[in-house]
Amino acid sequence: MAKDVRIGFDVGGTFTDGVMLRGKEVLAKAKALTTDDVTTGIINALDVLLKTKKAEVSEISLVSLGTTHTTNAIIERKNLNKIGIFRLGAPATTAIPPLTGWPEDLKAAIGGADNIFIVRGGKEYDGRDIVPLDEEAIRSACRKIKGKVDSIAITGVFSPMIPDQEERAAEIIREELGDIPITLSNHIASISLLERENSTILNASVITVMRKAVEALKKAAKERGIEAPLFIVQNDGTVMSADYAVNYPIFTVASGPAASVRGAVYLSGIDNGVVVDIGGTSTDVAYIVNGFPRESSITVTIGGVKTNIRCPDLMSIALGGGTIVKTKGNEVIAHGPESVGYNLVKLGKSFGGPIITTHDIAVAKGILDKKLDIFDTDFAPHIDKVKALDRNLVEAAYNIIKNTLEVAVDQMKTVAGDVKAIFVGGGALVVPRENLEGISEVIMPPHFEVCGAIGTTIAEIGAYAEGVADLEVEDRDAAINKVVEKAKDEAEKAGAIRDTVEVLDVEEIPFAYMPGKREKIRIRVKGKIFE
Amino acid sequence: MSKKVFETLEKWGIKNYKIIDKQAVKEITLGASILATGGGGDPEIGLLWAYKVLDEGKTVVMIDPMDIPDDILVASPACLGAPVVLTEKPPSYDVLNNAIRKLEQYWGKKLGATIPIECGGVNSTVAYAAAGEFEVPVIDVDGMNRAFPELQMTSWVTNGVNASPTVSCDDRGNVTVIDTGDDNKMAENIARRAAMAYGGISWIATYPMTGKQVKEASILNSQSIAWELGKAVYRAREKHLDPVKEMLDSLKATRNVTGMKVFKGKIVDISREFGGESTKGFSLGRIKMDGLDEYKGSVAEIDFQNEWLVLRIDGKIRCLPPDLIAIVDSETGEPIRTDIMKYGYRGSIILIPAHERMRTPKGIQLFGPGYFGYDMDYVPVEELNKEVAK
Repeated sequence: MAKDVRIGFDVGGTFTDGVMLRGKEVLAKAKALTTDDVTTGIINALDVLLKTKKAEVSEISLVSLGTTHTTNAIIERKNLNKIGIFRLGAPATTAIPPLTGWPEDLKAAIGGADNIFIVRGGKEYDGRDIVPLDEEAIRSACRKIKGKVDSIAITGVFSPMIPDQEERAAEIIREELGDIPITLSNHIASISLLERENSTILNASVITVMRKAVEALKKAAKERGIEAPLFIVQNDGTVMSADYAVNYPIFTVASGPAASVRGAVYLSGIDNGVVVDIGGTSTDVAYIVNGFPRESSITVTIGGVKTNIRCPDLMSIALGGGTIVKTKGNEVIAHGPESVGYNLVKLGKSFGGPIITTHDIAVAKGILDKKLDIFDTDFAPHIDKVKALDRNLVEAAYNIIKNTLEVAVDQMKTVAGDVKAIFVGGGALVVPRENLEGISEVIMPPHFEVCGAIGTTIAEIGAYAEGVADLEVEDRDAAINKVVEKAKDEAEKAGAIRDTVEVLDVEEIPFAYMPGKREKIRIRVKGKIFE
Repeated sequence: MSKKVFETLEKWGIKNYKIIDKQAVKEITLGASILATGGGGDPEIGLLWAYKVLDEGKTVVMIDPMDIPDDILVASPACLGAPVVLTEKPPSYDVLNNAIRKLEQYWGKKLGATIPIECGGVNSTVAYAAAGEFEVPVIDVDGMNRAFPELQMTSWVTNGVNASPTVSCDDRGNVTVIDTGDDNKMAENIARRAAMAYGGISWIATYPMTGKQVKEASILNSQSIAWELGKAVYRAREKHLDPVKEMLDSLKATRNVTGMKVFKGKIVDISREFGGESTKGFSLGRIKMDGLDEYKGSVAEIDFQNEWLVLRIDGKIRCLPPDLIAIVDSETGEPIRTDIMKYGYRGSIILIPAHERMRTPKGIQLFGPGYFGYDMDYVPVEELNKEVAK
């Protein structure tokens, strides 16, 4: 029997979606309520899929998920690790110690400021030591924190270019503290010390959360007879093996939107365009660049902390099936931002309720005229209530919704001209799709309502690396190649077959206010899991 | 509460001062970022440093330049070097103290107060952090009321005050004393090379001068100008007012100049050239913006050399250095910098006349179009935009 069935899950705020695919064929879809612990919801969705008996468990070749475990833990300050924080950089950097600007409750949740050490060390941009690494200071710090911390974060000045001091510090800490999870900042993010340090500390704080989730999911899969590797979606839309993800949980904070983009590309075959993912309370607009989500160029705030991890460039607007249309008599005053959320089936006009929502306007306009099989309830059991709505009111609301959508799509554009738009998500049918300004064509691929879950199953490994080159002394191609090799190493570690790894993009950024021809090189690569 | 700074104020007979708290630092930083003309780099490090100093209970007070004694020694603590290095290698807590102490030694007098060097980037607030650490007041002035890329490009130089002696330090305690007399370009050259030798960033105490010189050569009340500008933008955000209008009103009130909104559009093209000796280490290039709303059909092009430099709209020159160009988000008033702008960014272009102390013949020679390689005469922004200014 061929082992060619893939299973994917996408954890949302309200629902966890699951899909089962053989090649491009969708065998089954599932929807389960998202649970507080996240894991149970995924397992419930898995059981719904397995119950369909559309494939044998022995045929399953891959299980993959986009999940909110990490994000939830950070936002709720729940089950976070106590962290030993090492910065290699004194005598530089001491003006702004680690955790500066952090919310007090989050600081407390990771063990407070007692376990912070700024030790002598760090690198200059050109590879020199600021000062040699103070190994004895690291050892004595270890003696202080022994037994008090669960996880370690190490951030060295200029480590994304020259990582050896961080690696040496990790070695020493292992000698002193044994087998403790250690996050090195050069694996986490790019230059900009404070944001990278924040990202590194946050990563260290959720290692146990991710490890437990992965263990539970592996156990559940095993109990059900599934013998397939587990993968987790990263923020850039590629995946990493679950064992690798345990060490890099922070790379999953935007896995949901990233999976949507990848699913949209997979289902539509479109490599460049815009993805509009419409849910019950909000719509995410993201752009596809060569098959992957466009990356945000600004700092990303997670749980009140500024980070520089790579995330999709996303615009979230208050437009969903449950968004409330505010009226006065037969006039529309506003659309949103409030939403009835999953109470739509109780409160919306279409369901006999008192409130006019986006959903109801869509039903009245006739653009929403069928039930999607993932939903339990019919789309408009009380269609008469909707038909009774004033025509002018419906038109006015429709135009406001249309305009909101058009502006969001246009604001995210990077070049002039019309784009192809892929509409996905459970709410895709509630928004206007005709004559949209700035959009050349709206595509609603089959299975658009479980696009995110499908996007998790594409199974391409992603990785990146950085370096600094001085083009006055180095050959540009040689400098770039050096970084490409580094990125390929990382892809291999994350689960890719090395021969299949290809370069996605090469970015070169010159150093301003500095004579010479120095530049930063950043390489992104992807590779395959299967031959 | 540190008492020393209040003892100093009492000794000088100064009763009017402004307490700089975290909110003030935030507002000054935002205002300065607008005046920074796209340059100066990320202000974050300076902001966090000032916050930390205030969190430690140190006091920062700002005083009016006309109130200070003529004979005190003041100097400007600043950062000189590559912003990209700074974001990766923030300073040690005492590097500026060290630079100031070494300057005091060389000069043979204690420092009485600090003066910010420019608006924009980390230098918007390091003078405040250093003043807090050193327990001296900050004077409500600076040397340009905008950002410029080189040390000698100040109203101080155009009005006869020299950068020398400048003390340049790194975090390891290395010290370079630069004393080039009245050759301020040479001071810049040496300071830049010292920064490179240190690893891309240096911390300097520069432009030592007397209280009398501060009054004669500075951009007076420049900090209040930035502060009010920052407050205006926060007010606009809070009350949902038009931030551009609030900015222009604020500049009218503080400086009695007419700033102008001349364009609204979207960045549709960016071309960058690589830095190198031939380009003086500046990050340079050009952006193109397509007009939106009432400017639809028009095209704006801005050349930049670290800062926004020359603006053309539909091929016509509309602004030349040292006059200021700011591109701000039409909704939030947040300015966009040359190092982070990207395709698709939408904003309004605002032009602001440079301070008269920057527009002297010597000023035009030091930082007018000619200095940046343009073969054209400086024409004030008011002249170039007569139609709009009306």
